[in-house]
Amino acid sequence: MNLGELKENTEAVVSGISGDARFISRITSIGLTPGCRVQIIKNDRNRPVLLYSRDTMIAVNRKECAGITVSEVRK
Amino acid sequence: MSATIALLGQPNSGKSTLFNALTGLRQHVGNWPGKTVEKKEGTFTHKGDTYSVADLPGSYSMSANSDEEVITRDFIASGKADVVCILADSSQLERSLFMLADYAGLSAPCFLVLNMADVAKERGKKIDAKKIEQKLGIPVMLFSATDTKSYDAFYATLERALKEKSHINAAALEAEYQKIDGYQDIRQQISNCEIPGYTPMWLTVKTLEHDKVVTAKLKNALPDEIMTQIERQIKGSETAIAAGECKFKWIDSILNGAVTETKTKAALGRLDRIYTHKFWGKPAVVLTVLLGLLASFIPALPVMGVGSGVDALNAVIRSSMLGAGAPAFLTGLLCDVLIQSLSYVIKMLGFVFGVTLVFGLLEEIGVMARISYVFDNTMGKLGLQGKSVMPFLVSFGCTMGGAAGARVIDNWGQKVLTIALAWAVPCGAAWAIIPMLSTVFFGAGAPLVIVALLLVMLLHMWITAKIFGRKLVKAEDKFGMIMELPPYHKPKWGALMRYVFGRTKDTFFRVVKVVLLVCGIFWLLSYGGSTGENSILEKFGLAIEPVTKFFGMPWQLFLAFIASSVGKEGAVGVITALYSGGSIGTAFSEAMAGGARAANLNELLLANVSRPEALAFIFAITFNLPCVVALAATYQEIHSVKWTAKIALYYTVSALLLGCIAYHAGLLIW
Repeated sequence: MNLGELKENTEAVVSGISGDARFISRITSIGLTPGCRVQIIKNDRNRPVLLYSRDTMIAVNRKECAGITVSEVRK
Repeated sequence: MSATIALLGQPNSGKSTLFNALTGLRQHVGNWPGKTVEKKEGTFTHKGDTYSVADLPGSYSMSANSDEEVITRDFIASGKADVVCILADSSQLERSLFMLADYAGLSAPCFLVLNMADVAKERGKKIDAKKIEQKLGIPVMLFSATDTKSYDAFYATLERALKEKSHINAAALEAEYQKIDGYQDIRQQISNCEIPGYTPMWLTVKTLEHDKVVTAKLKNALPDEIMTQIERQIKGSETAIAAGECKFKWIDSILNGAVTETKTKAALGRLDRIYTHKFWGKPAVVLTVLLGLLASFIPALPVMGVGSGVDALNAVIRSSMLGAGAPAFLTGLLCDVLIQSLSYVIKMLGFVFGVTLVFGLLEEIGVMARISYVFDNTMGKLGLQGKSVMPFLVSFGCTMGGAAGARVIDNWGQKVLTIALAWAVPCGAAWAIIPMLSTVFFGAGAPLVIVALLLVMLLHMWITAKIFGRKLVKAEDKFGMIMELPPYHKPKWGALMRYVFGRTKDTFFRVVKVVLLVCGIFWLLSYGGSTGENSILEKFGLAIEPVTKFFGMPWQLFLAFIASSVGKEGAVGVITALYSGGSIGTAFSEAMAGGARAANLNELLLANVSRPEALAFIFAITFNLPCVVALAATYQEIHSVKWTAKIALYYTVSALLLGCIAYHAGLLIW
């Protein structure tokens, strides 16, 4: 599944990133790399996904979320 | 001694606060040569030595994804900076040290400032800067840009960095890179290919990351067959992703043992729960901006008062000059052009001062990032960032304030497009005359006219975004939002105030020049001489009346339309003067000074102007270029004569067109 499909208040681990060099550079520079843990804070339709990772609150546009695959962590 | 330091850091690392605190009013804002990226430089003295500071444009990494990043990189590689000050956010070190990891391998000496140490402490983080320093091999310090006391330590670290000229110890980082397939091969291939300013390790990693600029440089320097071999090795995106993972692994190893923290669970604060609410978010943002707009009148009012004082002075000077028998031409030039323009600019400047202060504050404490988040989707449809909603709302008050507010947009093209669209928003001056004119001509139908204007405004913005967007917003900037929502920061008032005063001062001088020029030309063209003959402008209006009639405007209305591009307040004064046989020149300057409207304005208008003509006029002046001060402020913000002229011409032509459509629609109705 991709980042945009996660429900609010779930945790997940980034398993892969796909896109052009620019996208990979941007998403890496904000701290999202394979293996990093993310916590979904908000996921409303028509809004960027709000997540918490590496001590940082990050907003990611829904289209960009499609390039980030994740696997959910059961608590 | 004099030295140059460059400030480097991701957005929200507190780079601007440090820059403003260090340089105060001694800063200069311009453009990087041949580029549309803002260049900020300043100087400060410490212990008798002069330092120049370059605030490098906002970037997330050392990649070549935008003009900003390429400029930043080239500046560092050029060796112009004696030392580079890299900023990171202590409260989120793991992520914000990415810039440092990406920097490792550039040959300019550097030191690391762990900013926002106070926030980190509040969050229960203990950071051992000495340990980090040992591992990195460069000076490292904890710092709070908002705390005046920590600047002594900053200067000491800066002096040490200048003396030691040390580089990041990247051995452990390279050990990580070596695990990537192809790293060793490529590194060997390019080991003979020297590009000054960059180490082979850095070039190799950028090659693995498909960096366009580095790849192009290598293509020039290496034989074709080696280049094809390299390209085969970096096919796909695996190497780029792996390079990112290496950097974070290295950061982890640096922080390991140097940071202790009590794990806190991530949660939204009360304010953020409102801003991010799916229903209440937008109203909350609009309310915030409107309150900000109101608040910006508080610091603006005293300045506006000064402007009114100049008006009063102007009246005294005029009457005493005329009383003393001074020539009318000279009195006109001094009072109608020089002093009048000055008072006009000062009044508007008060608003710019207020807007820069209030919205600068919102940016600094972190509210602007929330605004971006909430309006990302809506503004994205116009090719803009979410923040653009703020200048639009401010423009309902004053377009000059909107233009000044657009400076929080970090991409030049999007900033220009935002200002271009903000011009379509009817400003306070339009709201002062449009309802009045609508009521005179359409009575109870006036609200319909207002609604039609607002609908046309939305359509106008949409079409204008399509027309200008193609050139201004490159496909790669249409990138969806990937942005940090920073924790709320306390503002550093001293630095903020100095920044606001500096910007207001710059705006004043630039705007005064443009306003004097335009008002001077307008005055000369409308000057009738002492004999009371028709001015050049009136002759011109009469001559092209057959054309303007088609647009629904007899020559009197057309001249009022032209006057409205100097200031909308002037348009009504010009109409009154022309229909009552007065002189356009003095009518205009009196109207700009807020002079009284003729008591018989209603009768004058109804007797001389038909309803379709009135409709044409209302549309034309609403969507005409807002005023000469807004024009000057736009130029001040976007630093481009070409684009300022393009936007101005576009608005003049499109306003006439809209007037024409309104007129012919009116003819069908009445």
